[in-house]
Amino acid sequence: MAWEHREPEKLERRIRIERDGTVTALSGKIDFGQGIRTAFAQLVADELDVPIERVNVVLGDTAQVPFDFGTFGSHSVAQETPLLRKAAAFARRQLIERAGKRLGVSPDRLDTAEGTVTDGTRRVGYAELLDGTPLTGTVPDDVPLMPNARRHYSGKPMPRLEARDIVTGRATYVADVRLPGMLRGAIVRPPQRGAKVRSLDDSRVRDMPGVKVVRSGDVVGVVAEREEHARAAAGSVLVEWDAVPVEGPSTDVVMRDDTGVEAKLRQAAKTVDRTYVLPAIANAPIGPSAAVADVRADGATVYVGTHRPFGVREQIAKAIGIDERKVRVIPQITSGTYGRNTHGDAAIEAAILSKAAGRPVLLQWTREEEFVWSPSRPEAVLEVTAGLGANGRIAAWRYDEHTNVHAAAGLDPQVLGGTSGRNAIPPYAGFPAKVTLHIEQTRLRTANFRSLAAAENVFAIESFMDELAVVKKQDPLAFRLAHVDDPRLRNVIERVAERSGWGTPLGERRGRGLACTIYHGTYVGQVAEVALDASGRVSLRGFWCVVDPGETLNPDGVRNQIEGGIQQSASWTLLEELRHKDGRVMTTSWDQYPIATFRDAPRSLEVLVEGDASKEPTGVGEPGAVPVAAAIANAVYAACGARIRELPITAERIRKATS
Amino acid sequence: MKQTLTVNGERHEVDVAPSASLLSVLRDDLGLTGTRYGCGRGQCGACFVIAGGRVVASCLLTVDQAARQEITTVEGLANGAELSPLQRAFVEEDAMQCGYCTSGMLISATALLASDPAPDEDTIRDALAANLCRCGVYARVIRAVAKAARH
Ligand code: FES
Ligand code: FES
Repeated sequence: MAWEHREPEKLERRIRIERDGTVTALSGKIDFGQGIRTAFAQLVADELDVPIERVNVVLGDTAQVPFDFGTFGSHSVAQETPLLRKAAAFARRQLIERAGKRLGVSPDRLDTAEGTVTDGTRRVGYAELLDGTPLTGTVPDDVPLMPNARRHYSGKPMPRLEARDIVTGRATYVADVRLPGMLRGAIVRPPQRGAKVRSLDDSRVRDMPGVKVVRSGDVVGVVAEREEHARAAAGSVLVEWDAVPVEGPSTDVVMRDDTGVEAKLRQAAKTVDRTYVLPAIANAPIGPSAAVADVRADGATVYVGTHRPFGVREQIAKAIGIDERKVRVIPQITSGTYGRNTHGDAAIEAAILSKAAGRPVLLQWTREEEFVWSPSRPEAVLEVTAGLGANGRIAAWRYDEHTNVHAAAGLDPQVLGGTSGRNAIPPYAGFPAKVTLHIEQTRLRTANFRSLAAAENVFAIESFMDELAVVKKQDPLAFRLAHVDDPRLRNVIERVAERSGWGTPLGERRGRGLACTIYHGTYVGQVAEVALDASGRVSLRGFWCVVDPGETLNPDGVRNQIEGGIQQSASWTLLEELRHKDGRVMTTSWDQYPIATFRDAPRSLEVLVEGDASKEPTGVGEPGAVPVAAAIANAVYAACGARIRELPITAERIRKATS
Repeated sequence: MKQTLTVNGERHEVDVAPSASLLSVLRDDLGLTGTRYGCGRGQCGACFVIAGGRVVASCLLTVDQAARQEITTVEGLANGAELSPLQRAFVEEDAMQCGYCTSGMLISATALLASDPAPDEDTIRDALAANLCRCGVYARVIRAVAKAARH
C-alpha cells in the first residue's frame, strides 16, 4: 500500500456522538507527549460547538480508528488536522439537518450552541438527535468549516489533557493495565540475538507453584501469578542455545553526484579533510518496554506503547498465527521511546505468553533487558573533504558516511537515503558535492532513533564548517552565511547569533559554538555556550535556539519539544556511549550508561519559535536534537582550542587534545 | 506472610513475602500504579516515595522495612480533588513530556519544599539529581518547583 493511499473518510470512524452527549473523536495518531490529544480535542470542540470537557479523544485503538501508518513527528499530525476538522463539521451539519426535521424548520434557520441545536428559542441536545441512528457517511471534502471567530479553543495555549492524570499518578501507562486473571511474564534471554534453542530443561521450575514455562520457536518464557515469581522462574529455566550470528545488510548509495567534484578538489587552492566518529547509543527510555496481551481463541487484545498501532497489529498477528483483523491493539500512554517503539517486541512476546497460558499476561522488561535487547542508534564514521577556493569559499565537497541501517525499511536506495542518509547532504550552496552513504554490516541490532542519521551527519558537517572557517581565518558565522542562499536558514542563523550575543567577549575557558540545520523542512539555528573546568569537564552555561517550523499553532508545545531535543542531544554528546561486542550489548544499567541529570541541564535555555506563518507546519520533535553536538563541539574549540571529532566529548578527550 | 503498611494515611494488610519490594506491593497489591518501575536498582528515581519523611527508592525497600514507616506516594500528594501547589505548577509549566518520570520528581520536590520552602536553583538541581528524565524536561521542572515554592 502506498504511503499516500487513503480510504475515503468515514464519519463513523472519526466522530461519534455518545448517548450521554459526549463526543468521541477518533484518530490513528499517537500522543507521546507532543500534545496532539489536546490539539485534537480543541479543534473538534470548536467545529462541533461543544465544551471541550465533553470531548474524548481515542488515539490508535485499531478497533475504532481509521487505518494509519504511524505517527512520525508532528508533520503527520499536521496532515491529520484538516481531516478531523472536516469530519466534525460534517457531523455538525448532519445534526442541524436532523434537528430541522424534528423541529419542522429549515436547517438554514438553525444554529448550534454548547452541544445543542437551536432555532433561537428551542434547543435540542446532540444526543437526543441520535434516536438510535448514529451519524454516518463519507465526509465530503468541501464541507464548510466553522468561521475562525467562532473558534474558542484552537490555537490557544491550554494544559495538556493528560497532565492532571500524570501529576496525580492516575495515568494508565502500559504496565499499569490490570485485567482480571492477569499473569506476569518473563522471557528467558539467549546470550546473543538470533540464537536457536538446542535444549530446554525446566525441571527446576516444575514444582514452583503457578509457574508455567512457554516455548514458541526460539522464544522461551515463563508466566506466574506475581512478577517476582516470574523473574525467579525465568532465571531457573536452563536453556542451551546455538549461536546463529545475525548480520545487518551492507550496500552503497550515491546520494548526490554533481559533476566536477574530483577535478575541483584537485584544482583547489587548499583541501581539508577530516573524519568524525560517533559511537552507538541507546534509546534508553526511563520506562522499559512493556505490553499486556489477552489472547483468546476468538481473537486478541493487546495494550502497548507504540506510534504504529496497525504495524504492531500485523506483527502480533503473524507471531501468534491469527488473522490480523482479530487482533485489537489499544495504545496506552507510554514512556517516551524516541523511535524504538517502531518495533512491537514486548507486545509480540506478551502475546506468545498469553496464547500459551490462556490468560492475559503483563510483560514488563527489566532495565537490563531494555539496554541489551532494544535496538540502538548505530555507529557512524563521517569522512569529509572540501576544496577551498582562493576567494575563501568552498569550491567542492566530498562526503562519505559509513554507518549501519537505521530503519528496517529494506534496502531501497531512496529509503536508505532518507533514513540512514538523512541530512548527509549539506544545506549550503555554491559548490558541487558528492555524497555517498555506505551501509556496513553489523551484528548490533540497530534502529531509528530521534532524527535518524541527521544528528550524526550534522555533527560532522557543522563541525567541519567551523574547521573550514578556522582554516580560512574567518568567523564561523560569516563563513556559514557566505554559503547560505535559503532565506529561512539565513534568518535562524542570524537571529540565534543575535540572541546569544555572538562575538561579544567571554571569560577564560569559555566559548560559544554555532550550528544549524534544515530538518524535514524545519529550520534550526543554535548556539551553545560552554565553560571548561580545570579537568576539562564541559558544562553548558547557556543554549540558544531559534526554530522556524512554518505555521505554528501551539508555540509552547513547540518549545517543550525543542527543549527536550536539545537536552537529550546534549546528553548524547557529552556522556553517552553504548558498549557492544559481536552484537551483544555490554551496557546493562544506568551506572554504566550515565545520562544527563538535573545538574547537567544548561544554566539557561532559550528557545525562540519564529515560524514563517505562510509555510506549512513541519515537525519539531526531532530537529531540536540535530545541531546540538556540533554546537557544543564548536564551543569547546572556541573555549580551549581542542577540536573533538569523536563523541562523547569527555574531559579525557579534551585533555588529550590540549596537551 | 501478613504485613501492615501505612500508605497515604491508610492502613493496608498485604500477604506477601517480607522480601518483596515496596514497589511491587504498591503496584500489584494496592493498585497504586503511579509509582513506576524504571530500573529496580535505585538508579533512576521513577519509583521514589516518601518513607518516614525521606525520599527513598521503593524498588530497594522491602515491604518488611516499609511496614514500620509512613509512606507517601504520588497518589497521596493532592488534597482530594485539589492539586498540591507543586502538581499545579507542573501542569501550568507543562513540566513533562511522556510523564513517566513525573511521579518521582514530584516526590523529590515535595520532600525538598517540606524541608526548604525557598530553595535556590542549585538546591533544586541537587534535590532532584537522582531523578532521571530522558525526554529532557529538566529546565521546565526547575521552573515549576521554583514557582511552587513562591506560592
Ligand atoms: S525503579 Fe527504583 S530507582 Fe529506578
Ligand atoms: S518526561 Fe519522559 S522521561 Fe521525563
